[in-house]
Order: sequence, then structure tokens, then C-alpha cells
Amino acid sequence: MNHMHRQALRRGRPNTAADHIEVTRPAISQHLRVLKEAGLVEERRRGTQRLYRAKSESLEELRRFLEDFWDQSLDRLKEAAERDERRSDRSTRTSTEGG
Amino acid sequence: MNSVAELDAQADVTRTGRIEREIRVEARPETVFAFFTDPEKYVRWKGKLAELDPRPGGIYRVDLDGQHVARGEFVEIVPYRRVVFTWGWEEAGNPVQPGTSTVEIELIPDGDAASVRLVHRGLPEEAVAGHAEGWDIFLPRLMEAAGDRGPGSPD
Repeated sequence: MNHMHRQALRRGRPNTAADHIEVTRPAISQHLRVLKEAGLVEERRRGTQRLYRAKSESLEELRRFLEDFWDQSLDRLKEAAERDERRSDRSTRTSTEGG
Repeated sequence: MNSVAELDAQADVTRTGRIEREIRVEARPETVFAFFTDPEKYVRWKGKLAELDPRPGGIYRVDLDGQHVARGEFVEIVPYRRVVFTWGWEEAGNPVQPGTSTVEIELIPDGDAASVRLVHRGLPEEAVAGHAEGWDIFLPRLMEAAGDRGPGSPD
């Protein structure tokens, strides 16, 4: 799932990233700048360091998904429970009338 | 190369997110309660197949659609009043893994009806720390994306 891929981009420093892949620090910084301008990552400064992280849309998507999930589930719960309640009402009445 | 699942296990994410919902049901709490503890009743409102052992530590497992499975453990059961279980997706790499979030259901009697209050807490809210491992996989992809746009020419 694409949003999970984005979600997996953690906050990190360009030089940390450069230690792990075969590109130079300036190249990574340049790409991060482009990504920042494109709105895909956020930049934060801590002293002389710049920290980057993926923007939180993916977590918002997850939240929206779960909100819909519970809304739909609770609507169905209401329907099913009310059906059972009506049925038990009828059977109570029937048994009262019968006995 | 790390799998997405491994990355997720390493992920340092704040889990302070919560979802709250309340719905009034025209049924007594006794009637509603069974829909959280009886597998046959459970699947009438959620999922295709439910395995429920409603006691602390008992399994909560619901196959939602033949593909996605929600799994957790019951934490607390107060008959007709309260059901608490942990919750997550079994699917590897999903940001909500089993045991990471908790669902609390409260049934509040209201005449012949009940208010059902649901709180889903412990949801990931923000990625808070960097993990170098993540960059191995994701930075090259982002760089590809960046390359498509071309440095210095954002729209």
C-alpha cells in the first residue's frame, strides 16, 4: 500500500541516509529540498541540523479509514441489536399471552 | 533488505491517537452485549468469521472479509456494561499491529435503550524518530520521484 510506504519514511538526517546509500550528502540534501517543495516531506531544524520526516497524511488516511470502519460497524450493530430486541419483545408478549 | 513489517516493528511512532464514537441503540444493554461476545452474533454486524473467547487474555479474532483479519485479546469484561479488547490487523506491515491499540466498549442503560460508547485508543499519531533502515528502501523511491520532477523545477 502506497500510503504505508510513505508512512515508513521516518524522520532522519541527510547524512544518516547518506551512510546507507551510495549517493553523496549534497545530492540527498538537494533531493530532500525538492521533496520538501513538493510537499512530501517536512523539514525541522535542530541547531545546525535539519531533520526531515514524511508528512502525516498517511496517518490521517488511517484515521479516516478507522472512523468510517467503526461508523459503519456501529450502524450495523444498531440494526442487528434492534432486530433482536424486537424479536425478544414479541416472544415475551407471545409467551405472556400464551400463559 | 528489511521487509516493511520489520520496519514497522522498529518504528517509533507515538500512539496517542484515539477515535470516539457513541450511538443510541433501541435495545437493552443485555441484548447489545451479546453482539460483542457471541461469535454468531458478532458476524451479524462485523466480519465474516469471529473467534471470541470473552475473558481476560482470551482471543479476539475477526476475519473481516476473507483477506483482512483483526486480532487482539480481551482485557476486561463486565457483563452488560463494558468490553475491552486489544486490536490490530494481522497483515504484516500494517501500522496497527495486534496488541498495539485498544478498543473499549461501554454500554450505558437508558430506559429500554442503550448508548454504546466506543473508544479506540493507542492509534499511531505521529512518526517521531528516524530509523536509518527506513531510508534504505524509501529514500531511493523518493529520489526517483524527485528525479521525475527535476531538481529546482517544482510545480
